Amino acid sequence: MASLKRSVDSDPFAANISSKVYVRSTKSGKVQKIVREVYLRQDIPCSSRLCQSCLETAPRDAVGRPIPFVLSEAPAGTSVFPQGHYLVPDTNAFLTAMDLFEQSSAFYDVIVLQIVLEELRNRSLPLYNRLISLTNSEEKRFYVFFNEFRLETHVARQEGESVNDRNDRAVRKAVAWYAQHLTRTGAKKLPAVVMLSNDRDNLRKAKQEGISACSLAEYVKQLKDADALLDMIPETQDQETVKDKRPGEPLYPEYFTMSKMMTGVKSGLLHQGIFNVSPYNYLEGSIRVPAFPKPLLILGRENINRSIDGDLVVVEVLPKDQWKEPSTQVIEEDAITKNENPDAEETGDIVSEKERKALQEEVKRTHSKTTEGHAQPTAKVVGVVKRNWRQYVGHIDQSSVSQSAQQGRKQDTVFVIPMDKKIPKIRLRTRQVAELVGKRILITIDAWDRSSRHPIGHFVRSLGELETKAAETEALLLEYDVQYRPFPKTVLDCLPKEGHDWRVPQSVEDPGWRDREDLRGLLICSIDPIGCQDIDDALHSRPLPNGNIEVGVHIADVSHFVKPNNAMDAEASIRGTTVYMVDKRIDMLPMLLGTDLCSLKPYVERYAFSVLWELSPDADIVNVRFTKSVIKSREAFSYEQAQLRVDDHSQQDDLTTSIRTLLALSRKLKQKRLDAGALSLSSPEVKVQMESETSDPIDVKTKVLLDTMSLVEEFMLLANVSVARKIHEAFPQTAILRRHGAPPKTNFDELANQLRVKRGLDVSVESSRALADSLDACVDPKEPFFNTLVRIMATRCMMAAEYFCSGTQAYPEFRHYGLASEIYTHFTSPIRRYADLMAHRQLAAAIGYEAIHPTARSRGRLEAVCKNINVRHRNAQLAGRASIAYYVGQALRGKATDEDGFVLKIFSNGFVVLVPRFGIEGLIRLRDLAEPEPAAEYDAETYTLKTSGSREVAVELFQKVRVRVTDQKDETTGKRGVKMELISVY
Amino acid sequence: MASSQHVLLSPAELAYLHASLSLTPPIRPDGRSPTQFRPLVAETGILPGTNGSARICFADGTEAIVGVKAEVERTAQRPGEETVFLEEGGAGDDEEEEGEAVDKRKGDASWVEMTVEIPGLRDDDSGTAFLSAMLSEALLADGEFAKRLWINRRFHWKLYLDIILISPPLSYPLPLLSLTTHLALLSTRLPRLKSEGDEDPFFDDDWAAAPYLYPRTPTSVAKPTATTTTTRPPITLLVMAVGNNIIFDPSKEELAVADVALAVSVTSTASSHHIDTDTGHPAAEAGRNLRLLSIRTIDPPSRLTPPAVANAANAAYGASNGAALGTQKMLEARTAETEAVEGVWRAPRGGAKRMVLGALVQKVLERGGVVDEVLDALEGVDLG
Repeated sequence: MASLKRSVDSDPFAANISSKVYVRSTKSGKVQKIVREVYLRQDIPCSSRLCQSCLETAPRDAVGRPIPFVLSEAPAGTSVFPQGHYLVPDTNAFLTAMDLFEQSSAFYDVIVLQIVLEELRNRSLPLYNRLISLTNSEEKRFYVFFNEFRLETHVARQEGESVNDRNDRAVRKAVAWYAQHLTRTGAKKLPAVVMLSNDRDNLRKAKQEGISACSLAEYVKQLKDADALLDMIPETQDQETVKDKRPGEPLYPEYFTMSKMMTGVKSGLLHQGIFNVSPYNYLEGSIRVPAFPKPLLILGRENINRSIDGDLVVVEVLPKDQWKEPSTQVIEEDAITKNENPDAEETGDIVSEKERKALQEEVKRTHSKTTEGHAQPTAKVVGVVKRNWRQYVGHIDQSSVSQSAQQGRKQDTVFVIPMDKKIPKIRLRTRQVAELVGKRILITIDAWDRSSRHPIGHFVRSLGELETKAAETEALLLEYDVQYRPFPKTVLDCLPKEGHDWRVPQSVEDPGWRDREDLRGLLICSIDPIGCQDIDDALHSRPLPNGNIEVGVHIADVSHFVKPNNAMDAEASIRGTTVYMVDKRIDMLPMLLGTDLCSLKPYVERYAFSVLWELSPDADIVNVRFTKSVIKSREAFSYEQAQLRVDDHSQQDDLTTSIRTLLALSRKLKQKRLDAGALSLSSPEVKVQMESETSDPIDVKTKVLLDTMSLVEEFMLLANVSVARKIHEAFPQTAILRRHGAPPKTNFDELANQLRVKRGLDVSVESSRALADSLDACVDPKEPFFNTLVRIMATRCMMAAEYFCSGTQAYPEFRHYGLASEIYTHFTSPIRRYADLMAHRQLAAAIGYEAIHPTARSRGRLEAVCKNINVRHRNAQLAGRASIAYYVGQALRGKATDEDGFVLKIFSNGFVVLVPRFGIEGLIRLRDLAEPEPAAEYDAETYTLKTSGSREVAVELFQKVRVRVTDQKDETTGKRGVKMELISVY
Repeated sequence: MASSQHVLLSPAELAYLHASLSLTPPIRPDGRSPTQFRPLVAETGILPGTNGSARICFADGTEAIVGVKAEVERTAQRPGEETVFLEEGGAGDDEEEEGEAVDKRKGDASWVEMTVEIPGLRDDDSGTAFLSAMLSEALLADGEFAKRLWINRRFHWKLYLDIILISPPLSYPLPLLSLTTHLALLSTRLPRLKSEGDEDPFFDDDWAAAPYLYPRTPTSVAKPTATTTTTRPPITLLVMAVGNNIIFDPSKEELAVADVALAVSVTSTASSHHIDTDTGHPAAEAGRNLRLLSIRTIDPPSRLTPPAVANAANAAYGASNGAALGTQKMLEARTAETEAVEGVWRAPRGGAKRMVLGALVQKVLERGGVVDEVLDALEGVDLG
């Protein structure tokens, strides 16, 4: 009987075929055996420019040209490999030291093996993406070699061999093959092929087999700027190679196994959610889980159990007798753990004496409480499903630096205090303490062992001196994950060839004019903030013979220039939005488009996408149509200019009257919106005035609201709503829309209670209308700002608005709560928001202007886009605010001003004051009030804090206070911050 | 089906065959000894996508393939049974139950699904259904097999056995299908469980780490002669008797003259310690501990064969004149119809004799007998 199996002897092609067998567990719980056949080939090139033979056989592109080889013919050398070398790192090398590979000073000509790439993808997706972008960059010369598919380098797993051993063997085999392959090229200066690995066993075997191999540390020492680079090799790795780790006393409870957690979550015994740290108390976290209406509290280091803000964790609810109230105390990490010694071997308890004391206070307070109802369920973290660690910006805690380290070059352990207060301090080992002190630095967390109180990280790079504009701005951009690198060449290649000379074609026969309406004759103008260069929108109005009014909103036709799925589109979809910093703008699209070709500049013809309404004099929509058009803006006004012009009654020209018409209509539109229950919310907004030459901040101004701003806003809202209806009608499943969920009632519990107790006011949250009305009722006749204050606080209780793809939600969920609109999208700022660009494409398809591109129609892709732009949008806002906060701090530098403020939040050992003039919040602690710290009595029921002893004041919520705002540099931490002192209580 | 398949043999040939099989020792048409199996070729692992597979080819050209697929399935909680709480399995309970851990495992017949496919027959054909019933009965009879599919109190493996005869049924395919199934189960591997207790199962993705459903203890170096004594999947053998002769693995022709045909399912179990202490001798360890699982009588096709007519009753031989027949002749004719006459084929009548049945079973379970031989042979097949 001939065997049915494919055997090596009987099949002449058997050598070319191999198979890979593994078990796949699907999400639904299915477990399958998967067999993949692998067809081995010999035409996968080595991609070294030295090699001629590969060039002949390498696959060619569609035109028949060979794909250019990547690896240099004369790679750089090191002290050990002066003849030059190619690097072949193993998976661990990438996992532990990706930052090294991104250096521009070294690490060129790297061969990334397929097996390594695959393993990396399984272990860490972010690192995989970083590696992929490295392989795409031309100057770094990273080449992905498909070793698993090349006959000579394919390795079959042996009997009893573990997967890791097999993969290590595959790496060694590839290295050996490369070395041997290169000798055949007959080059004079033959580069060495060096394996990089931190696995001692692998290195030993490599030595046996006669392959050149180095550990990361050994290799880096051969380079020029070894010291700086050595710091980037993670801490844990160091220990592994240098000495066996001492088995430290475990401080934290062990995590559950993944399967145990998943079973628990599925059966409802455990809960999964994103871990959030309280901004005021680093020992208190909360986690929102679907099973409970209110977030679960997680108190204390032990319960937090090594989770860091943003991690996806699994928690277990604690028994009821351990339920607590959220803390009313401010606990700051740098204050409490200030004098910890980073070098100290951390035995004993995780909870330091001081921390325990802080918690004790808590317990005392809870016990003395008679009211039971306030206790909230607490939980402890039993495992982490997914770490959300990123790179953190921080600075070295000066107090943790030992004297000897200040001069020497030996490795020293210090603490880094991250800029984000929610991130715990990170232990860092570095050889360059002296250089790094006083700098903003970028670090990564490597691990957080059970035996270590603090997470361990390594240094990535320095951003520059603390408080220099460049360093601080870059720090903000990094912290909020804003893509600020210049646009790559591939993106710039997508721009029109004519550059700034591009003009709207003269001839109406030109394909650019196809289906475009000629609206050059209309009196169109734009109204924007002063100095606005990227003009997205312009307006016009004109009376119609039937007494109605035609109103047009003209939006820059960005989709004409940014075609779907090219490099520019991809870049824009990643950036998601333009980020506005005080002194800098990070564009979503290249300058040429944003500020020139797309921008609806005055006096020139531009392509536009127009929404044209016929409105009745009562601002009811009679009909609406959408068209691509060519316009010529008559004037670009600033809000102030437009306002002046409207107010100046001597101006009676057509343009001014049309603005007046628009203004009148916008008032009616606004009234309608408010009647429908639109909320008018508030956030403290200020504008930093800069000196024009040096762009140093000189003053801070609160933003003034002008009628013309509201004019533009109303028509933009109207356009967005009209477009949303149209694209939803055309694409019921895939329209890109924006929704704002109704806030859960519990969000307002705290605020409602505070208002009731302090002012006897009621907040009703039944509907947006009810909320709007009750917010209107929140007035204090003596204090005009009180209403704004309540609105600011109410805004913080809201949900965030989000982009979504219409197929993912039911129609009632489309509602925009804040605007009280059934349906809404973003359409009016395609230059600075990617969502608008998508809406443009969908609208163009909806009116039959062009066929819809598959990417604007695929739900999966749209959902991914929405998810990304939601995050980007939020980060951009946060970055913008942080930038303002920084500049406000700088503007106050060296000055002391007395300002009015309001108490926003109250703790048992301090309170938070909002100063509307600067839009900043500051914490005033009891110990800041007087020396020695006054005793205080905190009444949580009435939100009052009474101090006695060294200083006697009574502070209550919403109270108006007089504070002195100064800037202050904390000498120990080297951090400048706004400091407030209480002068008096009104 | 095949058991009742028509055999194209004349009554005279049948009578001859019957006579030669009744001799001591019997003479089989293909010259085999009564306990000898037809030669077969076997291989495993022929279907890469399955958890286990095997193919056996008998020398007469019949050939079968069996594939085993396993799926994780949630165990239905029956009312009245103690509900499984997750916490229980984890901590305290385990320690006290450690000793009788095996007893916790339960099996259920519904965890195994078997389909038999015979070319040319519908899958609801009574013969096919009977074959499949016999094969699954052998597997499930003692409840030990289903226990192997137990993962934890909330989950189990569901096993799908696909048995396909890929040649025309030249002889009754039961032994072939059973041996192929046995071999396929021997080669079956289930992914290695990584989770503990009653958690949702979570498996190792490394196939090489997957354990065999029937773990094989490698013959230890110290005692090279020691055979493996662990439990094996059952096999079902076809045994027939002609007169007092017991014949294993009958061919189609032999079956056509069988007095009795039995399907006997046997399993080999690990020699348990109880028996050892009873006998006080580790003899049981050396050999296999065979256990009878089930016996089925097969309707022998011999009953449907055309009967022969004795010369005395044959008109062609001058027995035509019924009127002229004397009482003596009448008697002879009756004897010819009721009693066997040497050289004249008569289909067997009546059930199997108890003595013969006893002897059959004993022969099957004999230590060092046919079953041992077969199991040893199948164990020798390389599991690849």
